[in-house]
Amino acid sequence: MLPFLVFFPMISAFISYIIGKKNKRARDYFCWIATAIVFAASISIEGSYHIDGFCSLGITLQGDGIHKVLAMMTAFVWFITTVLSRDYFQKDKNRNRYYFFMLMTLGATMGVFLSADLYTTFIFFEMMSFTSYVLIMHRGTGEALYAAATYLAVAVLGGLVTLMGIFLLYHKTGTLVFYEIMEIVAQMQDKSQIYGIGILILFGFGAKAGMFLLHTWLVEVYPAAPAPATALLSCVLSKTGVYGILILSVIFLHDAKWGMMIVYFGVMTMLLGGILAVFSIDLKRTLACSSLSQIGFILVGIGMQGVLGEHNALAVDGSILHLVNHTIVKLLLFMTTGMIYFHTRDLNLNHIRGYGKQKPLLKIIFLMGALGVMGVPFWNGYISKTLIHESIVEEIALLAEAGKSITQMKIIEYLFLFAGGLTVAYMTKLFVAVFIESNGTEKKQTKYTLSEILLFMCALLPVIFGIFPHQTQEHIATISRSFVYGHAPAHTIHYFSWVNLKGAVISLSVGAIVYLFVIRKGLTKKGENGEVIYLDRWPEGWNLENQLYRPIILGVLPFLGALIARTIGSITDAIILLCQMYIFNNKSGKVVPKENLYFTVYPQGGKQIFKDNLSKSLLFLGAGFAFAMIYILI
Amino acid sequence: MVGNLVLLFPVLFPIFAGFVFLMIKGQKQQQIYIFSTILLEALFVIYLCVTESRKLEVWHMSKNVFLFLQTDGLSRFFACLISIVWCLAGVFSLEYMKHEQNTKRFFMFYIMTLGSLIGLSFSGNFFTLYLFYEMMTLLTVPFVIHSGTEEATKAAMKYLGYSIFGAGLALLGAFFLNYYCDSTTFMAGGTLNIALIAGNENTLLVIFLIMMIGFGGKAGMLPLHGWLPTAHPVAPSPASAVLSGIITKGGVLAIIRVAYYLFGAEFLKGTWAQKVVLSLAIFTVFMGSMLAYKERLLKKRLAYSTVSQVSYVLFGLMLFSPLGFCGALLQIVFHAIAKNILFFTAGAIIYKTGKTYVNELKGIGKEMPIVMWCFAIASLSLVGIPPTSGFVSKWYLAQGGLDFGLLGLVGTSILMVSALLTAGYLLPVVADAFFPGKAQEYYHREKKEPCFLMTVPLSILSGLAILFGMFPNGMISKIINISNEIFFMI
Repeated sequence: MLPFLVFFPMISAFISYIIGKKNKRARDYFCWIATAIVFAASISIEGSYHIDGFCSLGITLQGDGIHKVLAMMTAFVWFITTVLSRDYFQKDKNRNRYYFFMLMTLGATMGVFLSADLYTTFIFFEMMSFTSYVLIMHRGTGEALYAAATYLAVAVLGGLVTLMGIFLLYHKTGTLVFYEIMEIVAQMQDKSQIYGIGILILFGFGAKAGMFLLHTWLVEVYPAAPAPATALLSCVLSKTGVYGILILSVIFLHDAKWGMMIVYFGVMTMLLGGILAVFSIDLKRTLACSSLSQIGFILVGIGMQGVLGEHNALAVDGSILHLVNHTIVKLLLFMTTGMIYFHTRDLNLNHIRGYGKQKPLLKIIFLMGALGVMGVPFWNGYISKTLIHESIVEEIALLAEAGKSITQMKIIEYLFLFAGGLTVAYMTKLFVAVFIESNGTEKKQTKYTLSEILLFMCALLPVIFGIFPHQTQEHIATISRSFVYGHAPAHTIHYFSWVNLKGAVISLSVGAIVYLFVIRKGLTKKGENGEVIYLDRWPEGWNLENQLYRPIILGVLPFLGALIARTIGSITDAIILLCQMYIFNNKSGKVVPKENLYFTVYPQGGKQIFKDNLSKSLLFLGAGFAFAMIYILI
Repeated sequence: MVGNLVLLFPVLFPIFAGFVFLMIKGQKQQQIYIFSTILLEALFVIYLCVTESRKLEVWHMSKNVFLFLQTDGLSRFFACLISIVWCLAGVFSLEYMKHEQNTKRFFMFYIMTLGSLIGLSFSGNFFTLYLFYEMMTLLTVPFVIHSGTEEATKAAMKYLGYSIFGAGLALLGAFFLNYYCDSTTFMAGGTLNIALIAGNENTLLVIFLIMMIGFGGKAGMLPLHGWLPTAHPVAPSPASAVLSGIITKGGVLAIIRVAYYLFGAEFLKGTWAQKVVLSLAIFTVFMGSMLAYKERLLKKRLAYSTVSQVSYVLFGLMLFSPLGFCGALLQIVFHAIAKNILFFTAGAIIYKTGKTYVNELKGIGKEMPIVMWCFAIASLSLVGIPPTSGFVSKWYLAQGGLDFGLLGLVGTSILMVSALLTAGYLLPVVADAFFPGKAQEYYHREKKEPCFLMTVPLSILSGLAILFGMFPNGMISKIINISNEIFFMI
């Protein structure tokens, strides 16, 4: 079953392309069926499978625990987006290409999530990067091409840096199976080299996930891609990066230093994503920044696994659950965005104001997603955020018990809650702008498409997950946690007790304050007809990519490299040229050997040449004497 | 003994066939003649390579000067590669040369060169190797000079000059080796006379360095790399494909023979000369990629890319470790495949549209989809993206490099930088070709796909580039047999 999950989508990609040449409708249905089959197959996977000699070292697939959860999640998201794609793309061209690469990407993504060693992970990770490139540039507009090129550049750069890390790791440990590396690393005395290697590997995975410093591509790529592709990117492909970071936390199991580094990156990502989202006035861009911010939450959770060491049950469950929850809510949010874009062809908040005011179904779907991602109690995001928050609280308690300074952890806790508040603020902003405010032209929607009804069914998931956490989410956590050696929490967690609700209440109040005082007061102004106009107040020059990365990578480094390469590369040619000029006297096109009356050629004006040569000869004679003198003296 | 005389056949047959070709009249007949000759030759070479090993000594002049042909593991490896690629390039050029003048001359030399190449791979001592090496150089000059323009003449002279100078350096070294070696017959592990070299190690290392630079010229290694970017753009595309894919490998073969079969890995390992050549190779890797990144003429870009990629091979070889050797031999095959695809593609584009600059290629993927798909696959293979074949060779080269210590680490990092640059100079071409932007996307474009004589060789090579990437172990086991011989690990 395992190789089937990986290779069946790739084969059906070709089949769908052939069908699509003949009949577009049949192709759409074929893709539905193919993804449905993959989803059905992903439920029944187990055990492991080794393909010997594939790409020389062979690849290993594993189908239990977290692999199964992630595979099911992937297949589910893929199925939903494929079904919704038909409506979304009905006006587009090049759909055949889209479906082909969409199915290829599904296979590659399955390969990443099912991989049991880094070699397999890397092979499929690279394939996935390249096939998803085509999805991003599907629209073919200048903006999409630019974004896709950036995506590709980041993917290639990240991939190669990670590959270098994997080379070094394999050289150092002689294996690429996660648990074997972990055992070897655990026994090492001097870990400094391994940390360096870890950072190299982190580079590629972090870039895919959108980790701080490598996040810049994400904010421009997500809005440029078509909605189903954005949903795939945000829900699944960014999670492959997170999966890679989870692998690293298996390799550095219970390593506090490594964990702390990831926590710092997580905090920065979480805050930055939140702040960018508050400032953004484009629906899709805001959601992209929101993805960034939520990935930050997950990273904090993963980091806390290392910081807490053996007692990391809360962090393990929290990070894995937040990963799954984020996937569900972002699927809803991005697909809603897609439906809006299909009708409006615009996503600027000022232009689509009130679009959903009279569309109850769409409103509910969006609201479910928004409440889920905000972390409001009784929705799914609350559970996972609470778990991660509690893991920070637990660390503070442990530090206080040991009599160590708790300031650092306290700050992280406050920032965590603050970032949660930002989530509340920007989601409120979106919901109010699109679904509450009025543009005066809307009519009550009465007919609903199949897509909307299907998406509405998915919208029930956040609520179910949120109200019955013990029956649903804890089940997922139980299956997955063995991957990172997590234990079950010591006692049952009462999610809706006051201790746990407190965090959510703080976040919600922060969110309300930010929304009312920053967004309402600072980032909007009243229009002529009394409507609210959203302003883009983000300073123009504050862009890490355009100000720093692009000039260095595309300007300075190639210039220096080319200068060195050209200089050294042309030494030989320069010597030959000099020889031609001085030995053959190539200027006149004639060879003029001197001192021999019979062979010397005197063409027209030959005396001039003779003179030239004489002076040159004298010059060289002088130089020769000078060298001889120096040699004798020294 | 009589059974061994068949070794002469694959060497002499193309040379005679080349002369006979001049008498064939009629385009159709010529095409059939060329194809059948090369196919026959290829089949015969493959037959020799799969049957038992043979040795043949002819024309004995003195102790070290005699013609000696044999088929050991390395010979078979190169002979198979050369004849298969030559065959495919031949098919491609049947169509391509239709728009060139003087095709008769071109094909005559094309057929004859194959003989010299097979002779080069079958050669069993230095004298034979040198003979066929020079023969290869001289026979390939007409490819470069083909168009007869002043630029082409200059380029051909440059090619000739660099090659002859390089071979001259190598010959200089050979005179010394003649003295210091027991014999100049190639023996796995080297033939140095221990008694004679005692105390003269440094002289020998200088000699080694000179020979490496000499033969390295053919392989495009610094400092004699200059002919590649000049000669490739002026030659007809199938000729540049084989110049870059196969002829440069002639230099590599000579280097392997000298370094592993005359000096011996044992003697050279850990010496300063090894480090010098290694550094030269590493720098060439960087330089080639960097200049390719800055170059706008497609064929010249590919030529610089060859400079860089063939130095991957030299990097692997100069590590003198089984892993490095394995990576190097894999890289020889995979680069030959990928670079042939790229030059064929460049040729197909010139043949159909006349475009030579990369910025003119926007949207060409819509016009010639099969051709540009092959280009995309070859690009991915050169960058080293799994599951294409380039990834596997890079994996072995890097593992070999990391065993070597600091210089190896630098080398491996440069390999990665070079891979990044390779992506930088090849992938935008692919992206522009397929995704020219909304303005040109739906612009009516006529199909310009070339005929099957061009697409079939391209597709076969592209298929191989992926297939070898996914299942390289059959080839790796062959290479391990060769390296076991060299490193005495039986």
